[in-house]
Amino acid sequence: MTGIKSTITKLSLAVVAMYGFSYALVPIYDTFCEITGLNGKTNEVAYVANDIKEDNRFVTVKFISNVANSAPLYFEPSVSEMTVQVGKPYNTHYVMKNNSSKQLHTTASPSVTPGKHAEYFKKIECFCFNQQTINAGEVKDLGIQFIIDNELPNDSGDIVLSYTMFDISNNIKETNKL
Amino acid sequence: MSANIDHLKEEHHQPSGLMRWITTTNHKDIGSLYLWFSLLMFFVGGLMALVIRAELFQPGLQFVVPGFFNQMTTMHALIMIFGAVMPAFVGLANWQLPMMIGAPDMALPRLNNWSFWILPFAFTMLLSTLFFESGGPAAGWTLYPPLSLQGGNSMPFVIFSLHLLGASSILGAINVIATILNMRAPGMTLMKMPIFVWTWLITAFLLIASMPVLAGAITMLLTDRFYGTSFFTAAGGGDPVLFQHIFWFFGHPEVYILILPAFGIVSTIIPAFSRKKLFGYDSMVYATASIALLSFIVWAHHMFTVGMPLAGEIFFMFTTMLIAVPTGVKVFNWVATMWKGSMTFETPMLFALAFIILFTIGGFSGLMLAITPADFQYHDTYFVVAHFHYVLVPGAVFAIIAAVYYWLPKWTGKMYNETLGKIHFWMTTIFVNITFFPMHFVGLAGMPRRIPDYAVQFTDFNMIASVGAFGFGLSQLLFVYILFLTLRQPVTAADKSWEGAEGLEWTLPSPAPYHSFDTPPKVD
Repeated sequence: MTGIKSTITKLSLAVVAMYGFSYALVPIYDTFCEITGLNGKTNEVAYVANDIKEDNRFVTVKFISNVANSAPLYFEPSVSEMTVQVGKPYNTHYVMKNNSSKQLHTTASPSVTPGKHAEYFKKIECFCFNQQTINAGEVKDLGIQFIIDNELPNDSGDIVLSYTMFDISNNIKETNKL
Repeated sequence: MSANIDHLKEEHHQPSGLMRWITTTNHKDIGSLYLWFSLLMFFVGGLMALVIRAELFQPGLQFVVPGFFNQMTTMHALIMIFGAVMPAFVGLANWQLPMMIGAPDMALPRLNNWSFWILPFAFTMLLSTLFFESGGPAAGWTLYPPLSLQGGNSMPFVIFSLHLLGASSILGAINVIATILNMRAPGMTLMKMPIFVWTWLITAFLLIASMPVLAGAITMLLTDRFYGTSFFTAAGGGDPVLFQHIFWFFGHPEVYILILPAFGIVSTIIPAFSRKKLFGYDSMVYATASIALLSFIVWAHHMFTVGMPLAGEIFFMFTTMLIAVPTGVKVFNWVATMWKGSMTFETPMLFALAFIILFTIGGFSGLMLAITPADFQYHDTYFVVAHFHYVLVPGAVFAIIAAVYYWLPKWTGKMYNETLGKIHFWMTTIFVNITFFPMHFVGLAGMPRRIPDYAVQFTDFNMIASVGAFGFGLSQLLFVYILFLTLRQPVTAADKSWEGAEGLEWTLPSPAPYHSFDTPPKVD
């Protein structure tokens, strides 16, 4: 009977360990994506430009936008395309309008294509670092300041920056309730 | 000791009627409960499949609205996987393992009772969602976010019932491992165990390693929806693709959970009716273990089109193809077992033979799907539907039916009607191919899965498939009739019901006594 007990103990520990492993997969996946540049994730906190040098290459940066789940928002880039010098900071902005009759809370998630070049697209300032509160009918300019790292490989083509804007008003209300 | 045995024999004074089944801790009672429950769920899931096939008989919308159609595809999968195939295998394990290893019962009889009785509650909860105003789950059995997070009120109920089913499977798996590792008859070393016991031991380890991962994944879905976490919601920095990785880390071992015990059954039946020993027993054991290990490093072949680095696609392509090697070992071993055997073709053997041929077809279409560049054409088409139905229906389900015919005389002491059994076999085999073979063609031509309507050029093959599905469903009513006829007979079956059958279970009387081995048999 002791044999059975020790089998049960070991197997129960294995079950708990595998449950833990499912949660461990979350940071493992994030690290994996960071190493491989998967998903085009860019820096999530402001980049402090210091050792980036200007060089005489130019690349085209294209801006696109999406609104998730048909939220009542107008959300578009002010310019759809810029030709920028590598290593020089640039400013641009997106325009967002609240088409509903309520105040909304929003957040944007950025993504760079091609994913392997995401690490060279540095955001010095970005509205995506914060959440936005926008009143009914209000129009807002959402600014970005970015710089292309001079480490960018020579074979790179255009870089596409995409933002998806989410209406998170409901999530915020529910979290406050809890 | 003898007083102890007398006491065991007196245990037949037990509650009668319904209470007997609710309170039973006997492995045979619980095995029967599992098998009957599985049969019931097979018909519930089958009815849902017929709703799907009726709707797809013609293009356009005929019988159901698209939302309900999606609920049917989702529920059909959940019920067939968790309600029909898995409980059937656990039922077979309950009946057979103690008899095959010379034990009196399972190691943990009360836990065994609990494992089973979780199931009816879990499925009542799952099925009740169909009566909700917002309907049942409709995002597919894989529950991919963001769609599954946007569904109706059924979502927490589905997740909780999956938690219960997972708990039931894990408890069952612990019981199986504890029984096999600790209660074998003296002299039965691991490498002398019947092959069905081996495949179940490995399956139980797969369950223990993979079911908790599913529990984790769906718990994350639940907290994303109700507690403001953002594992998979992009708005909070999460990633829906992460769910696919976690889900398939469970999901791929799960598909081997659905097939390894079937390998064990076929490896038992083929030698019995070939009147030869299983060819390459050792290699069968190692092949099963290799398949189980490989199942943990191939998961992303379910998601080639999701956007992976090239190195990842190549890795998952080659590891997936590698699985064909141990599987091939098994198929060739089965064929070699039959080579120059004096074969007879009773119903269990017919189902086992059809298993080998039709499962191999499903294996080959799996290899086609493993080729990453080709998968971009096949992904989410009916070709995938054809593939996994070939490995699950003439694979897992045929093995279960074969096992029932093979061991029915041992369980009941009564022999089924061989002529009717053969008719059942031929109808099932013909209709299963009429149903699923045309799906390869519409899939290659680009018909997507999980849609209630389709382009008109797919009509002919869909009509054929629908006719086959109804034929297949009706053929299974014949199976129920055969079971009914068998159970009504007097006890006549011999202790050793099949001439070529081997194993400790055939040394017991038919029907097998309530407690299998009061004194352990000696194995040399």
